[in-house]
Amino acid sequence: MADAVRTSRTVRKPAQERLWTWLMLPGTLWMTVFLVASLILVATLAFGTTDPLGNPRFGFVLDNITALADPAYRTVLLRSLGYALVTCAVCLLIAYPVAYAIATSGGRHKNLLIAAIVVPFFANYLVRMYGWSVVLSDDGPLLGALRAIGLADGGTRILQTGAGVVAGLVYGFVVFMIIPLYAAMERMDTSLIEAGRDLYAGPLRTFLFVTVPATRQGAAAGCVLVLLPAMGDFVSAQLMGGPDQIMIGNLIQDKFFQGQNWPLGSALTMLLMAVLFLGMLGYLRRTRKDEAEAVR
Amino acid sequence: MRAARGRRRGAERRPRFAIAVTAVFFALLYVPIGVVVLFSFNSQKSLTVFDDVSLRWYGVFLRDDVLLNSLGMSLRVSLVAMAGSVVLGVALALGLVRGRNRLGSFAGLVMLVPLITPEIVTGVAAMLLFKGLGIALSTTTVMLAEITFSISYVTVILRSRVAALNPEIEEAAMDLGATRRQAVRLVTLPALLPSILASAVLVFALVFDDFVLAYFTTGVDPQPLSVRIYSAIRFGVQPTINAVGTLMLAGSVALIALALAIPRLFGRRGGLDLLSGK
Repeated sequence: MADAVRTSRTVRKPAQERLWTWLMLPGTLWMTVFLVASLILVATLAFGTTDPLGNPRFGFVLDNITALADPAYRTVLLRSLGYALVTCAVCLLIAYPVAYAIATSGGRHKNLLIAAIVVPFFANYLVRMYGWSVVLSDDGPLLGALRAIGLADGGTRILQTGAGVVAGLVYGFVVFMIIPLYAAMERMDTSLIEAGRDLYAGPLRTFLFVTVPATRQGAAAGCVLVLLPAMGDFVSAQLMGGPDQIMIGNLIQDKFFQGQNWPLGSALTMLLMAVLFLGMLGYLRRTRKDEAEAVR
Repeated sequence: MRAARGRRRGAERRPRFAIAVTAVFFALLYVPIGVVVLFSFNSQKSLTVFDDVSLRWYGVFLRDDVLLNSLGMSLRVSLVAMAGSVVLGVALALGLVRGRNRLGSFAGLVMLVPLITPEIVTGVAAMLLFKGLGIALSTTTVMLAEITFSISYVTVILRSRVAALNPEIEEAAMDLGATRRQAVRLVTLPALLPSILASAVLVFALVFDDFVLAYFTTGVDPQPLSVRIYSAIRFGVQPTINAVGTLMLAGSVALIALALAIPRLFGRRGGLDLLSGK
């Protein structure tokens, strides 16, 4: 009997494998057509041209790639990188205390507090940005409060400045920093903090030399999760910044909708991907090293 | 001095600075949303002076055919994207975890692409693909793009659930005479049902609120609600947007609550690891 079962199962083996393949096939095909092929199309069109009517034509010219060397584009790219990095830094400054406070003093309300941070993230991105721009507006509540306590004067503005753009990006993506950092702190061995305290390190030193190193993988993951959308965003620069604060996302949007220069838009898209790819490579090398050290 | 600090240690365990920052953070997180909700009930057009409680802007929204058409379109897109991505994503997750072959490693890689690509890039790419294939941008193209985007979410969520399932329950069913396919249909899928429903609700909420992909793949008319909101905001203060935004917020909160509650309704915990950051 047992033998019969075993043989029937060995007979079934290739059929089993086939079922898993059949299950994978539709989704993989779908993703290959709609994602991989479309991304290859963008990469290809970056070498294309536009005909006199403005229609994109495939080809192999390097015009769009060399056009990227234009100082105007370089300025926008550097500004986007700058804004994204500052956003990342501000998110870290916010996320560390918030994640720390919830992880160490949240008690049984921890999940509720984290949910309270995640839920607004599910509100429509544009509606949130719009509400945020109302709060930051020249006669809005935030500047009003700052003026009342003397931290701002009548001429202080947040909207239409770079700070406004960064404020928008931070509001949009800070949750991506808090969640991985919180997860890292939850995993962290809290006796390390107590050990630091027992060695008479002050709260700041314990934080800098114990908590930060123990949670750096969470912070690195958070940085990637914030940088990715922040670099590609075009809503924040549009709603919170002025014409002087456009980011690479605004350029891409412009080339596809107003400028009708799709090949150049594709080249800019590939440039954005290249910058992010380099960042990801750095992140992967870093985490590999961390993991190798952890194994050792 | 040291003795004094030793005595104070208990008090020091509460990180007062971090708690203060957290309080300010929560205030700043909710004030913008509060402003939208509050001024949706304003009887006047102003966004700075609250005049009187009124449902005026909700009335304006309900008489606005353009916005209502957009709402209808967003609902259709979300439903189709939910159905399509759940069917494809669940199958993909099952195959990825249980079957290990070359197709699986390729599929595992492809599935991660949307998660590490900014949405503007996938948006541009989808738009170019449709134009390249000669497909006019319409409700259908938004649906196709949103399905692609959502498959990844469903697969990521379901993958960890399938991996957590003991494959021996399938083996047991097969020892009792079920074929592999019957075992998956009668044992594995029912066991995954809470997670499948939760991820479906989540996808619905995400697609309904999505802006960037919809913006790049939509035709002229009708346009998804979030795209309409975008053009309304760009052309200045629109109090109707406060009402629409408040309704969307209420809908999202209800859906997220539902997604989190589903595993509990089934008497199980941990259907969606939304909060643990996994």
